[in-house]
Amino acid sequence: MGSAFRAIERLGAAGLVLEAILVSLLGIFLLVGFIVLRRWYRARYFHKRNQRTVALRSQWDDILSGKISAIDWRFNPLDCDIVESILLDSIEMSSAHELPPLLDCLRVSGLLDMRIYEARRSRGLKQRTALLALGRTRAMEAIPALAAGLDSHLRETRIAAVRGLGRTARMEAAIPILDRMVTGQFDAPERSLKNALVNCCRSDPAVLLNYIEQTHGPVRELLARVLGELASPELGEELLVLASDVLPEVRASAARALGNTNVSYTLPALHSLATDPEWFVRLRAVVALGQIENIGKINILLRSLCDANRHVRQRAAWALARMEPQLDQILEYVVATKDDYALQAFISELERSGAIEKIVSGFAGSGHHSAATALMEVVAEARKRVELTGKAVAATAGAR
Amino acid sequence: MHFLAISNDTLFIYYLLSNVIYLGLLIVAIVKNVRHRHRLGSQRLELVKASPFTPPITLIVPAHNEDGSIVGSVGALLGLEYPRLEVIVVNDGSNDATMEKLRQAYQLQTARILYIADIATAPLHAIYRSPLDPRLFVIDKEAAGCKADAINAGINAATSPYICVVDADSILERESLIRIMAGVFADPGRVMAVGGIVRVLNGSRVVNNQIEEVRLPKSPIEVMQVIEYLRAFLVGREAWAGFNMLPIISGAFGVFQRDLVLQVGGFRTHAVGEDLDLVIRMHRRLREENRSYRIDFIPDPTCWTEVPTDFKSLARQRARWHKGLIDALWPNRDMLFRVRYGRVGWLVLPYMWIFEFFAPIIEVVGYTTIILALISGVLSKSFFLQFLLFGYAFATLISIGSVLLEEMTFRRYSDWREVARLLIFCLFEHFPYRQLTMIWRLQGIWQYLRGDLQWGSMKRVGISTDPVA
Repeated sequence: MGSAFRAIERLGAAGLVLEAILVSLLGIFLLVGFIVLRRWYRARYFHKRNQRTVALRSQWDDILSGKISAIDWRFNPLDCDIVESILLDSIEMSSAHELPPLLDCLRVSGLLDMRIYEARRSRGLKQRTALLALGRTRAMEAIPALAAGLDSHLRETRIAAVRGLGRTARMEAAIPILDRMVTGQFDAPERSLKNALVNCCRSDPAVLLNYIEQTHGPVRELLARVLGELASPELGEELLVLASDVLPEVRASAARALGNTNVSYTLPALHSLATDPEWFVRLRAVVALGQIENIGKINILLRSLCDANRHVRQRAAWALARMEPQLDQILEYVVATKDDYALQAFISELERSGAIEKIVSGFAGSGHHSAATALMEVVAEARKRVELTGKAVAATAGAR
Repeated sequence: MHFLAISNDTLFIYYLLSNVIYLGLLIVAIVKNVRHRHRLGSQRLELVKASPFTPPITLIVPAHNEDGSIVGSVGALLGLEYPRLEVIVVNDGSNDATMEKLRQAYQLQTARILYIADIATAPLHAIYRSPLDPRLFVIDKEAAGCKADAINAGINAATSPYICVVDADSILERESLIRIMAGVFADPGRVMAVGGIVRVLNGSRVVNNQIEEVRLPKSPIEVMQVIEYLRAFLVGREAWAGFNMLPIISGAFGVFQRDLVLQVGGFRTHAVGEDLDLVIRMHRRLREENRSYRIDFIPDPTCWTEVPTDFKSLARQRARWHKGLIDALWPNRDMLFRVRYGRVGWLVLPYMWIFEFFAPIIEVVGYTTIILALISGVLSKSFFLQFLLFGYAFATLISIGSVLLEEMTFRRYSDWREVARLLIFCLFEHFPYRQLTMIWRLQGIWQYLRGDLQWGSMKRVGISTDPVA
């Protein structure tokens, strides 16, 4: 077998390589030409857009009130694009009483109908863009078109529909999402769903409770997580049902939700959740306890401070270390547990919050000398241990 | 004569294959970039910032003798737009005033917090917190002679589910964390790590540790590196990530799931290329556990870094990168062509061996034999010249392609004169710059074989706060 070079030479002498050179050079010229042309076109486009934006902005009140007919700008693609951008940005920033004239302009000009049409009939990027624009309008009549987008076979389109519905921030927009989630067949990223539902259900989180009852597994967990973010005292004792759910994630979410309420049953429910068999449920309960203002939580947190799980202990210590007026007393209770891990976690958090010096100086100036001295010794010992733990563990690890 | 013919054939096929693969990667990268741009259009960063579901993240900043820039860098990192942020600076046994400057600027106080060394590190001196900003922690530790050890100490102390490793001398754009985390939000259950783009800082105007104006550097050696970085990130990494085969996330800027990093034992101490090594071990672990995962690259979150300005520093850096490559590939050689490692074992690792590690060796052998063949008459002069021209034109086409990609997507160099300069320098990248890097990479192989695994120092000119004339 001869050399590949010879074979190529035989095939067409310099022809093949020459062709390759020419193709490569042509490619270079095409790329450079494309870059130059694109730059020129963009500069021209943005200059023109800038000019039209200034012109349309100067007539904005007339456009909004209809004094300048929509026909004057609606059928010029550049003007139409600029007006729609300004309208959508304004809608996003508008309060309830500023919204109606902006929506009216969208409706009267036919922009809203055009987007609804595109969301229903177009495909690909155009459809997704329309779905997102519809979401930004926050208009009621956009919801059916957005809901239809949820049934697309394309995941990207479904995501755009979920995001669009979320942006409406309307309770009615949550229903199509929830209805599809109940079937257990709806495929969209968890985060997009959660964000959309949080936005839409903020005004009435109780609607989630019905759906949580109808669902199982991961969907139930996701809805419980959303409820955990939105829960308010108005949810009432429904939260207690969730607190005894069979799914740990739902119990954890109930704990989180309870942290946003502070009613008669909050503390007993969190007490129960703080002894849950699952560590992350206990952790959520301890975090929730940290959020509520109730002196009765001290005993529950003290028990959690002796938890077998390091994260639960640390979080309990964090919550206790922020109970400023009672810190002296809490420290005594912690010492009384005779749990070295608990004491270390608590001292560590006091150090982190900067409260330790105040407590130490408080004890130093107290009248009960013998008791205070004994406590101080324990604290000093614990502080030393906390200090050494890092070094010792690191040194041991370093020697490994 | 027969040997020369075989050698020439091999070089011909190798060179053609390498360029065709890169052309393929360029096309994939263009498609992926355009898709990403469309996706970005539907994402509102302010909504991500406001979302209660945005997970916390810990920035780990290993610092060794960075007294010139550390205070400004930490200030800039604390100013990043991310709702739940923790910054851990690890002073890795600096023998300059790094620690002192941090102590003064942030009024550091000793914090006797619990530190559990899940990953073995050199002993710590102390952990500090700042009363001025509770998000800032500083770990002061003994030097272990490697960046990986400092990062591991930061990982041990981190309290967030995600960690982001950032070089102390690099600049992150304000929204870069949110943008890089968008890659995680896309599928939090599967995305284990995400890399962002690293761009060349030299020449740009910096005010308060933030890029004020992006400019090309003046010296040719730096402009060449701009083109290299564009090609490596916008083409190479983007395309490999498109097939879920990303072999490296830059040590200067990347987000990792903390639990997974702990599972693989953290960054390998004394690894020369600790970033490449970690990502390969992550692939290994995830594939061994048969998990569905993604290790991704997002092209818009940007980290700006200073690149070498003189040949000596550049030579050292390139030699070190090549040492890092073999240092990561060799321990994982058992992944090659094994079914359980899938496309990583069958495609990307063989590519890295053949077209990255062996590239300088094959090139030097190739150049030698071609010259010998030319002298002995095995190869005709006209054909040699034609082939040389073809190789040059094809490689230049790909370099221009990466500039095009930059133009189509992020357009950081807004002045048309800058783009013109970039295009002109594309013509010189394959001669003589490529041959120089080949020599430096050979030096790296030689140093590795000799057991010289030192990092070597890089001469820095510092960040310019004035516009480049």
